[in-house]
Amino acid sequence: LFFNSLTKPSSKPPTTPVKLKKVSTFQEFESNTSDAWDLGDDDDELLAIAAENLNTEVVMETAHKVIQNHSKLQEQHKFQEEHQQEEKRVESAELTSIACGDNRLVKSVSEGHTSTSSDNASENSSMQRSQSLPQTSTPPLVSGTADYNTSVTPALTEREASRLDKFNQLLAGPNTDLEVLRKLSWSGIPKRVRPIAWKLLSGYLPANVDRRESTLQRKRKEYFAFVEQYYDSRNDESHQDTYRQIHIDIPRMSPEVLRLQPKVTEIFERILFIWAIRHPASGYVQGINDLVTPFFVVFVCEYIEEEEVENFDVSSLPEEVLQNIEADSYWCMSKLLDGIQDNYTFAQPGIQKKVKMLEELVSRIDEQVHRHLDQHEVKYLQFAFRWMNNLLMREVPLRCTIRLWDTYQSEPEGFSHFHLYVCAAFLVRWRKEILEEKDFQ
Amino acid sequence: MGSADEDYNFVFKVVLIGESGVGKTNLLSRFTRNEFNHDSRTTIGVEFSTRTILLGDAMVKAQIWDTAGLERYRAITSAYYRGAVGALVVFDITKHQSYDVVDRWLKELYEHAEPSIVVMLVGNKTDLAQAREVPMEEAKMFADNNGLLFVETSALDSTNVEQAFETILKEIFHKVQQQKQRSSQSNTVSLSNESPESTAPAQAEKRPCCVAL
Repeated sequence: LFFNSLTKPSSKPPTTPVKLKKVSTFQEFESNTSDAWDLGDDDDELLAIAAENLNTEVVMETAHKVIQNHSKLQEQHKFQEEHQQEEKRVESAELTSIACGDNRLVKSVSEGHTSTSSDNASENSSMQRSQSLPQTSTPPLVSGTADYNTSVTPALTEREASRLDKFNQLLAGPNTDLEVLRKLSWSGIPKRVRPIAWKLLSGYLPANVDRRESTLQRKRKEYFAFVEQYYDSRNDESHQDTYRQIHIDIPRMSPEVLRLQPKVTEIFERILFIWAIRHPASGYVQGINDLVTPFFVVFVCEYIEEEEVENFDVSSLPEEVLQNIEADSYWCMSKLLDGIQDNYTFAQPGIQKKVKMLEELVSRIDEQVHRHLDQHEVKYLQFAFRWMNNLLMREVPLRCTIRLWDTYQSEPEGFSHFHLYVCAAFLVRWRKEILEEKDFQ
Repeated sequence: MGSADEDYNFVFKVVLIGESGVGKTNLLSRFTRNEFNHDSRTTIGVEFSTRTILLGDAMVKAQIWDTAGLERYRAITSAYYRGAVGALVVFDITKHQSYDVVDRWLKELYEHAEPSIVVMLVGNKTDLAQAREVPMEEAKMFADNNGLLFVETSALDSTNVEQAFETILKEIFHKVQQQKQRSSQSNTVSLSNESPESTAPAQAEKRPCCVAL
């Protein structure tokens, strides 16, 4: 479908400054997009760029308004409180512009680029490698605060450091204010605190610091009790279709290197099979497999110093660490799926509904694009089905998905409702290319 | 693709169906782009590509639709089959299970498509001959008994892929020609003899250029 033509290298050369080349590796992508994803805090700049990239006058106007608001409020560190519906629309467009790896964006901020993860990782790795298990699960959760001051390298910009500091203070407790965490996370979570922030935002971890470790232990035990109870039944007649489907789908997902590791395959198979067995109304549906990946990758990052997860040999991690990652990924994915369950029940009513809503939305905000699609007999279901079914994971690189999920998890109904606006923003963002295209395939 | 867009006399919509993992997406990419991808990902929803080929003196644009081999995607089933004039029912010759369910796929096809749709049974992955589980004679006999065209292919080494698509497109073209002669006065092109007013008209019918031929 036409989106393929925007992302696949084999298609026509792009006509815009946007980097449309599909990157095949994490590394490639990261070098292409520079630090756009670590930028986070710099809403003014992002909004200005977003406004610049959008053609719609209304959106421009709104963006300027928002920019003004933001500049005024930023000094008081209160700007996030002004969360209006229209602002969201602009900002979802802003996310889209990030997602495309806009060159201008990358250029404009590249001076400020630093790697937050190298220092982060060395701090974590020294801990978990020297310590014997099972205590390994504890340090990363508390280490953010404890080691923070010593681990900030000169490479960390002031802005990033202050942002990380805000997160660390918030996460340290004794009770993390989830409302504040959501506001802060909306514009991106620093890599080093992302694992714990995601666990909190998804509702997997309790806000109270003292209860976190015991919760983790309990939930991890619970998950492996499920494995004990159900996993042997994967070859039973009643479950073998489910297992076979999962088994053939895992080699057919991304990221390319990670998925080929036998250890990763094993873990993903267990997570997906257990989830499917415990959710018979939907069962396993292709696309759900992709949704494990961001959690898995983010949680692996909690334990490793390597910057590139894709090139990391997962089996080098201690068995117990892998078990923690597996259980945490299972629970967080379950929480996500709870919010979009009707996407995967029979006939996928949630997706049908959302595709209709997208069509309705686009017909209002960009009638020209809507009409163009209609004239060329392009049905929304043809392209947006996958956008909804896989939450755009097939359309953007993994790193973009991870950044997008910072925001989705900060929104009340991020994966169902807000996602719709991001999809609409995609269409508006590429309106020029869409309008020029006459042969959609 | 774009420039050749208007230079055709017919558009034939052909759908690919069959069990998950039999190689539908690679058959499509082999035919439309001469590509094979070892790491092709699961197809989600529907995708389609086109290729225009010359049949006799007519340019035929084959619009080939690919879909996921998983039943859950019923949400898009009817849209998928609507207007299809040809179908490739694909199985993997190294997986008997994928052949066993061909019956089920045919049933679904005939439930949603026009009865006159041209259907070809395709045994894919002949490059894995040493792992063959479905004898060619068995599949051939099944195809004959059910009035299906039959071919074995390898999307990986290209064997018979071109022939498979060409054969089915020729057969469709042939049917359309017959139909046109029979109903020259009605000024429409449809494969459906029984119900020219069908709610799922052949794609060809929609294009004025098809009628002009």
